[in-house]
Amino acid sequence: MGTSVKKTASRERLVTALHHKEPDRIPIDFGGTAVSGVHASCVAALRDHYGLEKRPVRIHEPFQMLGLVEDDMRDAMGLDVFGVFPRKTMFGFPAENWKSWQFNGLEVLVPEAFNTTVDRNGDTFIYPEGDTTAPASGRMPRGGYFFDAIVRQPPIDEEKLNPEDNLEEFAPISQEDLDHLVHSVRQAAATGCAVIASFGGTAFGDIALVPAPSLKYPKGIRDIAEWYISTSSRQDYIHKIFERQCEIALKNLERIYAAVGDTVDAVFLCGTDFGTQTSAFCSVKTFRALYFPYYKQLNDWVHSHTLWKTFKHSCGSVARFIPSFIEAGFDILNPVQCSAAGMEPQQLKANFGDKLVFWGGGVDTQKVLPFGTPAEVREQVLRRCEIFAPGGGFVFNTIHNIQAATPVENIVAMIDAVKESGSYR
Amino acid sequence: MADLKQLHDAIVNGNSKKAVAITQQAIAEQMDPGELISSTMIPAMAEVGRLFECEEYFVPELLLSGRAMKGALDLLRPLLSASGAQSAGRVVIGTVKGDLHDIGKNLVVSMLEGGGFEVIDVGADVPPEKFIAALKDTSASILALSALLTVTMPSMKTTIEALKAAGIREKVKVMIGGAPVTQEFANEIGADGYSENANSAVALARRLMASV
Repeated sequence: MGTSVKKTASRERLVTALHHKEPDRIPIDFGGTAVSGVHASCVAALRDHYGLEKRPVRIHEPFQMLGLVEDDMRDAMGLDVFGVFPRKTMFGFPAENWKSWQFNGLEVLVPEAFNTTVDRNGDTFIYPEGDTTAPASGRMPRGGYFFDAIVRQPPIDEEKLNPEDNLEEFAPISQEDLDHLVHSVRQAAATGCAVIASFGGTAFGDIALVPAPSLKYPKGIRDIAEWYISTSSRQDYIHKIFERQCEIALKNLERIYAAVGDTVDAVFLCGTDFGTQTSAFCSVKTFRALYFPYYKQLNDWVHSHTLWKTFKHSCGSVARFIPSFIEAGFDILNPVQCSAAGMEPQQLKANFGDKLVFWGGGVDTQKVLPFGTPAEVREQVLRRCEIFAPGGGFVFNTIHNIQAATPVENIVAMIDAVKESGSYR
Repeated sequence: MADLKQLHDAIVNGNSKKAVAITQQAIAEQMDPGELISSTMIPAMAEVGRLFECEEYFVPELLLSGRAMKGALDLLRPLLSASGAQSAGRVVIGTVKGDLHDIGKNLVVSMLEGGGFEVIDVGADVPPEKFIAALKDTSASILALSALLTVTMPSMKTTIEALKAAGIREKVKVMIGGAPVTQEFANEIGADGYSENANSAVALARRLMASV
């Protein structure tokens, strides 16, 4: 009985916070999305710490090597959110039929098609759709903690650039992928947790996806610097990609909503980063000309047809973009990188707290969480909760995923501090 | 006669084709390559840096201007030694071991080259021994280290320690940068300087050269 009472409370807690009201305590997410997750090595360490059943961690997101946060860990840590992910991973193979894999001395489970090779330097290579006859699309340096996309840029002939080439990865959702989402949403909802879903296909120009690690032979503009250059010098080309991508995404959302309905509470729409540590990737003017119209179309559709709240992820210094995010219809901002320029938590809460939910910002992952003491972690978490929690509109999460090599005692200090400060009543 | 104002503007506006065409014309007219760099190209990149500092330019524009500048510089570089032109200094640069990210590092390369430095780019995921070999081979005065990841920041410290072990720490100034890097971290690991962006890296490198 205890479990069902707690679990039902989880969904209500998150939904209340998303509506800018104070729930019983601050809702907590770890593992709900690929930007609010936990590195596999930390999941393993946390499972040990909480005395959970010993079993290998599942790498459900192989790009960043994020570990699946399972029900027992969610209970042990007092987490409130269940994440729904697309059937296929960023490398284009499905996250299913698990097999054992050694990851820096840790035994983990990876999907069947997680096929890798190791070169003379000890670097590990991973392949699109698991096809080792295709050029590798990801590389993890020896002793590294996650993959980076390998850029496979065909020569660019300015005269022959065709936006269709950058659209190969965007297609009407297959029945198999739709069935997977339906099943996952049902499974998530049955736990009584709040549900956040990442359906895929709705990110415009997410730089992690531009190299198309899921495709065997990507065409178009796939080099990261070339893409950034194109956002300034080939805006017509980018518009044509976004226009078509948006059309496909809207149709997919319609089909997905017809199948899953309002059992989903929040939807991860876009992870394109607009901020750097000290500045931005583009001007607000460029943002409004190039990205805003498409974000608005997606948000407008979601808000006029569903009860979903929309989630926008952007690292870095994004305060200048927040009014436009709000105007475009985004409800939630993540990861709220308070360590970046102009992202002081008090200012963010005072200026935007009534319109935007802060899903993140709970503790810095560049310095305090990985390198600080448990006391320093506790102090920052308490302070952030004090700032962000009043009036609701706050979901506790670290600033981006918990990175590898983060001391488990710091993660535990963080969770304990949220619980210490997290009660509204 | 080659229009140097147009070359300047082509670099500022990131027009690679035009920058290359005017440079070719200037070479054909036997203009002094060192003079072309110091009186036209370096001021053009300084203007790009200024526009970046005042947030009229962002990463895409820096990349475009850097590309235009590089196109022109690649034509002039082979002619430089013959002209007896002096560079502002020699810098070995790379992203530290375990870190594959190179966009930020490449921007620093562009800006340093645009600032008149001779830059030896040893790439990404660079182990300390490779940095040391490059420093020894080139007698560079500055080592510039980049890291994007918190988990690879410690490689900066390891690299500095390796310089000490190799007996060359005193011969080289070490500057560091990258998203998670701070002045405090630079002090902690004994680096000689920290820059928060690609443009201020040029001013930092000049300061470090003055103290060599």
